[in-house]
Amino acid sequence: MEQPRGSFCGRTRREFLWQTAGGFGALPLVDLLGRDGMSLGMRATDDDAPFANPLAPKEPRFPAKAKSVIFLFMYGGPSHVDTFDYKPALYPLDGKTIDIKTKGRGGTKSQGRVVGPKWKFQQYGECGKWVSDLFPHLGKQVDKMAFLHSLYAESPLHGSAMLMMNSGRILSGAPSLGSWVNYGLGSMNENLPGYVVMLDETGGPISGAKNWSSGYMPAVYQGTVLRGKGSPILDLARPDGLSEAQQRRLLDAMKGFNQEHSAQRSDNSELLARIASYELAYKMQRHAPEAVDWQSEDPKTLELYGVDVPETHEFGRKCLLARRLVERGVRFVQIYSGGNHNDANWDAHGDLEKNHNYHAGRTDKPIAALLTDLERRGLLDETIVVWGGEFGRQPTAEYAEGTGRDHNSAGFTMWLAGGGIRGGTSVGATDELGNEAIERRMHVKHLHATILYQLGLDPNDLTYFYAGLDQKLVGVQGADVIPEIV
Amino acid sequence: MAAPRSKKSGITTLGIATLVVAAAWQDAPTKPSDGETTRWCYRPLTRPAVPEGSARQPIDRFIDARLARDGLQPMPAADRGELLRRLHYDLVGLPPTPEEVAAFVADEHPLAYERKVDELLASPQYGVHQARRWLDLVRWAETDSYERDRNKDGAWHYRDFVVDAMNEDMPFDRFVTLQLAGDEVRDASRRDRIATGFLHLGIRDDEPTDPEQAVYDDLDGMADTTGRVFLGISMGCARCHDHKKDPLPSEDYYRFLAFFENLAPYKVGGGNSITPRNFVQTETVDEGPDGNHARIANFERERAELRERIARRAARVTSSATALKMTSALREGLVSDHSRIETGDETGLTVHGATVHEDTRGPYLHFDGLDDWARIPRKVQDDFTIAFRFRTEHAASGAGFHRWHHGDGLVDGEVPGIVQDFGTSILAGGRISAGCGDPEISIVSQPGYDDGAWHEVAFTRERASGRIALYLDGALCAEAIASKAALTTPQELRLGRLAGTNHFFDGDLGDVRIYDRVLTDREITMLTLGTDASTEVEALVEASDGAEAARALRADVQAWTRVTKPEVKTMTFLCAKERRGELAKSYVRIRGNVHSKGKQVEPGFPRMLGDSAMPEIVPAQRSSGRRLALAKWICSDDNPLTARVIANRIWQQHFGRGIVRTPNEFGKLGELPTHPKLLDWLATELRTSGWSLKQLRRTILLSDAYRRSSRAASSQLAKDPQNDAFWRFDPRRLTAEEIRDSILAINGTIDLRLGGPSVYPTMPAEVLATSSRPEAAWGTSSERDAARRSLYIFVKRSLLMPFLTAFDLADTDATCPVRFVTTQPTQALTMLNSDFLHEEAGKFARRLEQEAETLEDRLRRGLSLVMQRPVKQREVERARTLYTSLVHDHALTDALALERVCLVFLNLNEFIYLD
Repeated sequence: MEQPRGSFCGRTRREFLWQTAGGFGALPLVDLLGRDGMSLGMRATDDDAPFANPLAPKEPRFPAKAKSVIFLFMYGGPSHVDTFDYKPALYPLDGKTIDIKTKGRGGTKSQGRVVGPKWKFQQYGECGKWVSDLFPHLGKQVDKMAFLHSLYAESPLHGSAMLMMNSGRILSGAPSLGSWVNYGLGSMNENLPGYVVMLDETGGPISGAKNWSSGYMPAVYQGTVLRGKGSPILDLARPDGLSEAQQRRLLDAMKGFNQEHSAQRSDNSELLARIASYELAYKMQRHAPEAVDWQSEDPKTLELYGVDVPETHEFGRKCLLARRLVERGVRFVQIYSGGNHNDANWDAHGDLEKNHNYHAGRTDKPIAALLTDLERRGLLDETIVVWGGEFGRQPTAEYAEGTGRDHNSAGFTMWLAGGGIRGGTSVGATDELGNEAIERRMHVKHLHATILYQLGLDPNDLTYFYAGLDQKLVGVQGADVIPEIV
Repeated sequence: MAAPRSKKSGITTLGIATLVVAAAWQDAPTKPSDGETTRWCYRPLTRPAVPEGSARQPIDRFIDARLARDGLQPMPAADRGELLRRLHYDLVGLPPTPEEVAAFVADEHPLAYERKVDELLASPQYGVHQARRWLDLVRWAETDSYERDRNKDGAWHYRDFVVDAMNEDMPFDRFVTLQLAGDEVRDASRRDRIATGFLHLGIRDDEPTDPEQAVYDDLDGMADTTGRVFLGISMGCARCHDHKKDPLPSEDYYRFLAFFENLAPYKVGGGNSITPRNFVQTETVDEGPDGNHARIANFERERAELRERIARRAARVTSSATALKMTSALREGLVSDHSRIETGDETGLTVHGATVHEDTRGPYLHFDGLDDWARIPRKVQDDFTIAFRFRTEHAASGAGFHRWHHGDGLVDGEVPGIVQDFGTSILAGGRISAGCGDPEISIVSQPGYDDGAWHEVAFTRERASGRIALYLDGALCAEAIASKAALTTPQELRLGRLAGTNHFFDGDLGDVRIYDRVLTDREITMLTLGTDASTEVEALVEASDGAEAARALRADVQAWTRVTKPEVKTMTFLCAKERRGELAKSYVRIRGNVHSKGKQVEPGFPRMLGDSAMPEIVPAQRSSGRRLALAKWICSDDNPLTARVIANRIWQQHFGRGIVRTPNEFGKLGELPTHPKLLDWLATELRTSGWSLKQLRRTILLSDAYRRSSRAASSQLAKDPQNDAFWRFDPRRLTAEEIRDSILAINGTIDLRLGGPSVYPTMPAEVLATSSRPEAAWGTSSERDAARRSLYIFVKRSLLMPFLTAFDLADTDATCPVRFVTTQPTQALTMLNSDFLHEEAGKFARRLEQEAETLEDRLRRGLSLVMQRPVKQREVERARTLYTSLVHDHALTDALALERVCLVFLNLNEFIYLD
């Protein structure tokens, strides 16, 4: 139906911004890109009213270099000096107690016993990047990767650091990166959620759903957990004994009642939208299982991802699923490596070698396969792959004995690949022991800004009006993109 | 900008009357002012004249005047069935039954509608529904968020307070006052103190990177919520800089924050801990004649009698010489004796702040609970007994936990992590706990040892068997099998402090003795009864008074170990507690950084609301009196915001939108009122009624405007598409809770009981798996409890019920003034496929089978329950066609076919939307 002039979805613009309620339900705040109007394009079936899907695709502000993001979250905090941040000076200091200022779970310390890197490093690729022996497969992909060695975050403690990496703030209640991306761009496939999260089989990360929350935005922008077993999405599968034909019959009967009801309320487009949403749900039931049917892949691909090997089966399957999802237009996929607590993730407080061998062993080959597979299908150009945890680890030991390292948010490494990111580059540096970012220091928000920018969004202008402020993922003061890698 | 004012002239009233521009104050959308005038909401609240007109109700006169001016025709009254449904959902959040609909439609009494309004206002379910609306505002949740997402102990008492307050129609000014300062009001009752739980509902990081900043984030949450919820002004942005739109300098923010700044911080010290004793209260509750008081009195009498009998028998045979000998027996294996509190190398005792006092039994240490402690070397690791006496009447840490390392340290060697340590502590509720690590095992006493009397503690540990045992006043309280390792991790033992969490003991501690052996039961009895309880005395009695007398003595001595303190009933709740000692000093914190102190400030009201009124702060016995001063100002007749803000919310709750569409923001960032005079009329009406919300609702519900049809005439729609003028009633979707509660009401299984701890309906396994500890993430409830109203479902910030979140449950982390109303396919998936819907559809079908004989009657009954109006034959036929097709074409059994039809019924738009 035609919208009255001078109004925004039947409401004043301002009220709409405040409430995002009534009228059409959660409509896309298309205004966020400085344009007025609505995207009404989507139709569930020919005879239904337009379903104004809040996740309808939106034009990016700039020509986008990437369409999707796959965020490989190494939960618990992998040690940068044992993975991608090569520190030759650290080896000879192994076991020596030195003066060094650290801040981690165990508080602030001014001395510590150095734990030398527990793996050898070798050079790979044309760029000659030093990579530790934890990642023999990923080593071969370094020319696709841009390394950020001088990231820092505001908290060295999991709870708040996870929130910071996912939502840009250490306080609970803000939308996560995936929510911002879907809010800004919508989804390219109405039959799939726009923001998918895959968790470790040992459980979610600490703070659970807060990590993929839409915070103060409507729930439509929150991450949807995709499961490996059973119904991939909560309530997607019909209960046993309810066939598709039977469900179609139920939906038709429902529509009969609903159409009669809405006939007397023709001004209320919400009623029609609800009818349409059922048709869309019906279609999702058909398409989503196909999207997650990894077994339909050819054996060579399964082998490439390591799905055929117990050690890499789980993460390999998830990486493969991530490719299938972005192939089908899902905007944001996040995969957790590690879950639960302690050594079920990368949080190596006790035995560093055992912990990192375990987690790297389960992820190295699958991630390398993901990069290879995306590239050969021409998807890598439009997909940003992000690797990293909520922080890194200290060069010194946490306890009197053992190789465990405490958390370190003062300097750590992440890498990006694809989506227009310049491969074979390295930006910034930590000090010679890897304790603190010293050169080209980059706050987590610069990483966020860079991801949004590659997607065609302006990180300093992607706003959501809430609590009297134009809120941004990158904070009130904004953040620059990292020019060296775009 | 701030209104100019003259201090010399002594103008202290709010706003400046001369600045009111008459033209901008008509009852029409107010034009944005040019910056020279005071914003409408800061002007004094006066009762506007009611416009002339034919309507009976003043509300309608205001609305009619605007309709006439805009050339709009109001819609006629809604039909009676629709109206009843509207009333039900607005007042109690539940559907009317078909019988109620029929009776109401047939009731021709002129006062039928008014009676129905009164009936629903008096329903206990009214409080449940209105409480949920209030909880949206105060960021209601029962956990803290972040890594551990800890439970807020006893938070549900606050929820029950809100339900009761709504049902009792507690005057709103009282309701506000109790939430801010229930502990500071005169003769504060327990319930008054429970109301201050309001202050503690926010998110709280138990392991923040900057603990001091985190405490201020928490205080900011209180101040900001207070500003938005009670005053409709957002002050949060002034935390970092002067407000960009409203005349609120940063300094005013910190003056406002100062009202809360003397509250004890939720977290003291580092580590992953919080300090519950700073905001959680555990008290014994007496339950009538057989209550705690009576049982404790019995217990004390019994012990006194035993003690006396033992002493009498022993006195006949003991002399000072034998007594001396016995005492030395208890010295065997005594490796650490601190009963004389001698510091220095010999004893290894070092005292940090604690002071030495003395009573008839000798010296003891007093710990202030803030930072006093002492330490002694750890001389034991295998077998040991730790004995001491203590007394306290102050609440301790660790509510809800029965682990020793969550409490305030007594004699303790806790070392964080999975290590070989041990110790004793006092927990909230006055429970004594002891335990050791690797594996971590705690044993715990009955509550109530924080009664201000001296108590004797003995904690024994035998390495070979792993047995640990805890004795209170000579009686065995608890025992367990624990670690068999050498407990060597702690370097030292601390007195009055739990290491790692800095939980300081608040009370007295003395006679600390540590043995490197396990004392026998009898020896432990001797710790309290002295040599009277020894075997030597028993032998002397036998020699002197015969075997019978010795047996009697032995029986009494043994009885002593078994007369344990009775289990006392306690309750735990959140409440305001202030810092002790010096008042907190307040500063402007530059750019919101707590470490960057600027100018010192005193508590004060925002100057844009009348600066020179200095708060009258009267210190109370245990608090600064600051919050009460704030509450008085918020509720004072001079405050123009409070009444307007709540009147607007009540209007919003019945009309779907406020007269000001931004209910938490009346300042310049917000919308202007569509009917400013009507709002002021409602606000003054509320005040003159003694702040009765029920009366205000009644007035609103009796207006013609409320009773209008929700249908839209296209001519009106074209002129006023947003219904700014209230020419019709805006239809709305039910809220998440209303949908769930209605489903349960319709299938007849809803449990309408009020109050009590929250319940845990089944959480889908898929959703549990998202938690980092799936097995410990959620509780269980009986089927009956699981069918309670949604208000009573436990609200865990990191794990919310998916059904409720799908339908736009309020955000839990910040105040939520207006809920989102989204329409999305995931809702449809939940309504079509979820276990919950299928189970409820099944119950619905069983109900229909019970209540009606024929298929036609069942279908008609089902539709009338869902639609809450007379059902048309055509509709029954449509349902029958579906049913028949399910049986014939899809080969469903009759029972299953009816379930599927019920599923369709529960999915109907007519059920989910309200006219």
